[in-house]
Amino acid sequence: MVDFVQNTLDGFFIGSSYALLAIGFTLIFGVMRRLNLSYGPSIMLGVFAGTMIYIQLEAGLVFVACATVLGAVLAGIYVERICFWAVGRGAVLASMVSSFAIWMQLEELVTIFFPERTYAFPPLGDFSLEFGPFFIRGAHLVMFLCAAVLTVLLHLLLYKTRFGLALRAVSENPLAAKFMGINTGLVVFSAFALASAIGGVAGFLIASADQQITPLFGLWATFKGLIAMTLGGMGSIPGAIAGGLLLGIIEAQSTWYLGAEYRDLVAYFVLFAFLVFRPGGLFGQRLATQNRLSMQRV
Amino acid sequence: MLEVNDIVTAYGKIEALKGVDLAVSQGQVTCLLGPNGAGKTTLMMTIAGILRPKRGSIRFNGQDIAGKPARMIVEQGIVLVPENRLVFRDMTVEENLMAGAFSRSDGKTVQSDLEAMYERFPHLQERSTQYAGTLSGGEQQMLAISRALMARPRLLLMDEPSLGLAPLIVEDIFRIIRELNDEGMTVFVVEQNARMALQVADHFYLIEQGKVVFDGTPGEMEEDEVIKRAYLGKKI
Amino acid sequence: MDDHLIQVLSNIGMITFIALSAYVLLLTGEISFGQQAFFAISAYASGIATAMWGWSFWLGLLWGAGVAGFAAFLLAWPTLRMRGLYFAIGTLAFAEMVRLIFEVFHYQIEIDGEMVGPNGSEGFRGIRYIFENNISEFQYMMIIYALLASVLVFLFAIERTRVGAIFRMLGEDELLAEMQGVNRTYYKVMATVIAGLIAGIGGALFAHMNTYVEPKIFNVMLGVHSLAYGLIGGLGTALGPLIGVSLDIGLLESTRMFTGYRMVVFGGLVAILLIFRPRGLLDEEAVHAIRSAWRRKTPSTRQQSEIDAPD
Repeated sequence: MVDFVQNTLDGFFIGSSYALLAIGFTLIFGVMRRLNLSYGPSIMLGVFAGTMIYIQLEAGLVFVACATVLGAVLAGIYVERICFWAVGRGAVLASMVSSFAIWMQLEELVTIFFPERTYAFPPLGDFSLEFGPFFIRGAHLVMFLCAAVLTVLLHLLLYKTRFGLALRAVSENPLAAKFMGINTGLVVFSAFALASAIGGVAGFLIASADQQITPLFGLWATFKGLIAMTLGGMGSIPGAIAGGLLLGIIEAQSTWYLGAEYRDLVAYFVLFAFLVFRPGGLFGQRLATQNRLSMQRV
Repeated sequence: MLEVNDIVTAYGKIEALKGVDLAVSQGQVTCLLGPNGAGKTTLMMTIAGILRPKRGSIRFNGQDIAGKPARMIVEQGIVLVPENRLVFRDMTVEENLMAGAFSRSDGKTVQSDLEAMYERFPHLQERSTQYAGTLSGGEQQMLAISRALMARPRLLLMDEPSLGLAPLIVEDIFRIIRELNDEGMTVFVVEQNARMALQVADHFYLIEQGKVVFDGTPGEMEEDEVIKRAYLGKKI
Repeated sequence: MDDHLIQVLSNIGMITFIALSAYVLLLTGEISFGQQAFFAISAYASGIATAMWGWSFWLGLLWGAGVAGFAAFLLAWPTLRMRGLYFAIGTLAFAEMVRLIFEVFHYQIEIDGEMVGPNGSEGFRGIRYIFENNISEFQYMMIIYALLASVLVFLFAIERTRVGAIFRMLGEDELLAEMQGVNRTYYKVMATVIAGLIAGIGGALFAHMNTYVEPKIFNVMLGVHSLAYGLIGGLGTALGPLIGVSLDIGLLESTRMFTGYRMVVFGGLVAILLIFRPRGLLDEEAVHAIRSAWRRKTPSTRQQSEIDAPD
């Protein structure tokens, strides 16, 4: 029982970073109904920008965080312009494949400038807490707190500002949003930048919890974000949070009870089961049926 | 007020509008009638700036607005109540209305307009914090109309406002159109329901296969003939 | 021919199978991130058959493709209700499950004092049928291309029949197709199985050429690449995937053009290509234009082709 609770705690904290990745994914998916495979790699580019100023200039945590977020946003904007804005409206498949091509491009760019396999990343919260039999890593606690604050800020942005109103309107019905005089192109662009910034924060938190970074981070982040988003329900922000936490907990439990080699297998199995029995995930059931037609021909 | 000259709009190689000419005069209710697939919605989308015409001009108070982006057309004062209403289902009634006022920058008057809307549609006030998706079809149509009014239009475009609604609610909607018009609003309505449309129209056009085939006032053509042609076109 | 060229051409041929497999599903309007699963299943199954059970190569190939086709048949049912992005993620999850199962799959027997067979993440060594039977690399390349040619002929033939038309119709508008009386289930399952079989042939060829396979070869990158090849080459013809693979592996990897910068250049070029040609180099319109030009040049076949391909 103690193990189970401890695993749940671990999974929950790690899951909070998956939740951030999934929120970024779901924002992009929400406004565009397209899949951005380059999401993880553009975050990776940001994390490497952070590593660079850490190694070269020995910059402090705050500067590293800023460089990471800025790098992720710039890479995200590049992806948006090339793979989404420039590609025709009906061409969903072309956008997706194009984002894959840019992924390959970004990944190679990083390996050219950073030829070693792994690089150091500054640690965050090098302490730990104990409550009776339970144990929490400081880095995980900081990760969770940052994720929670960011989620609250995002909620305020979406529900209390003009931009948030426009973003939700475009997510729900781009045509109707246009009728209201909303500049949909600008909203999509801003949503992309916002999602990249959130991804940048997630990347920073994950890299500093691991205290290292490899070029494989791009692949990892894209698929963790994608799985968490799907578990929670595509296009739903509460879903992204729940999906991220669920994924973290599933991974922690299966690692403990079945062994590390079964961790991903169990996660994919749960994902597949969700897609078969409840394609809308935890929170997106209505969205899934409502968008059935638009999802049909990708 | 609005002059449409020789507008051609195409989807790929298929021309849905093949040179449409019509005019909407200030202070009047103008109706556009015609069978399905005649190009009514295409015309509305072209005026609203969603579709770009291949040829022709659209003049609003003397200014050419053809092909301008939708948000500039809204800022000029032309606002569309779209076919099937298209309310934001996952947003509350009040958020829908606020979204309608998105093109305006005068914060204070928006608040008073919101109250005015609630006065006109008390139903909406009762449901102001409900999600729009939970409203009935008629309520959604009222919401779509008041959402458009929140932009303070000078010309209100309505695409099939009676579509899929019960007869009593249709009566309601046309009563509102008449009220708005009495208050000075210029309205341009596309309709299938020719009988209702003819009751409010000052002027009407018949469109068939992408071309205007008749232009006149309600008395100028036998009502049954109008209805027949609005549903079926002239071939039958 | 020098060895390097033979190797590159063989690689192009084998990867084209999996690209064709993704292409068949694209025709029916589905994006699959998971065709590498069938490639992997057949690679293991055929390897087990020839290296452990002593079967002949051709029997092993048939068995591998058959197992892959059967796996596709099983997968077709749960994914039938998934559409668009959901299908893409569903196939991704399936393929990753297959890969992760191979990571923990142990089945070894002793042959000549040596352990042979799949050994989890260590991989599966000793699939040596080709070398033991003195089939040269050139001969093997000819086998690959003979099989590829047969698959291409098969796909061209399908495109000219009702089945091909129905595949494209399902791809364009599923609802419309169903309203016209198309049995969606039947044709979707059929497309999935055909795609599984084609990937399976490629997988068996791959295992026997490399003599060694390990699970991580069959990761999602292989799947997304094969999907991309079809779109780069064009969705108008079954030659599209071959063109896509040749451009990537043939032109860039083998000639060592832009060493170290290959994906920087190629990735950018693909992104730009898709801006101007969102359905690939040889899209439906291009194929149509080429066909009509061809017809004009050879009036004797005119009548025939008009019957086959009504406009």
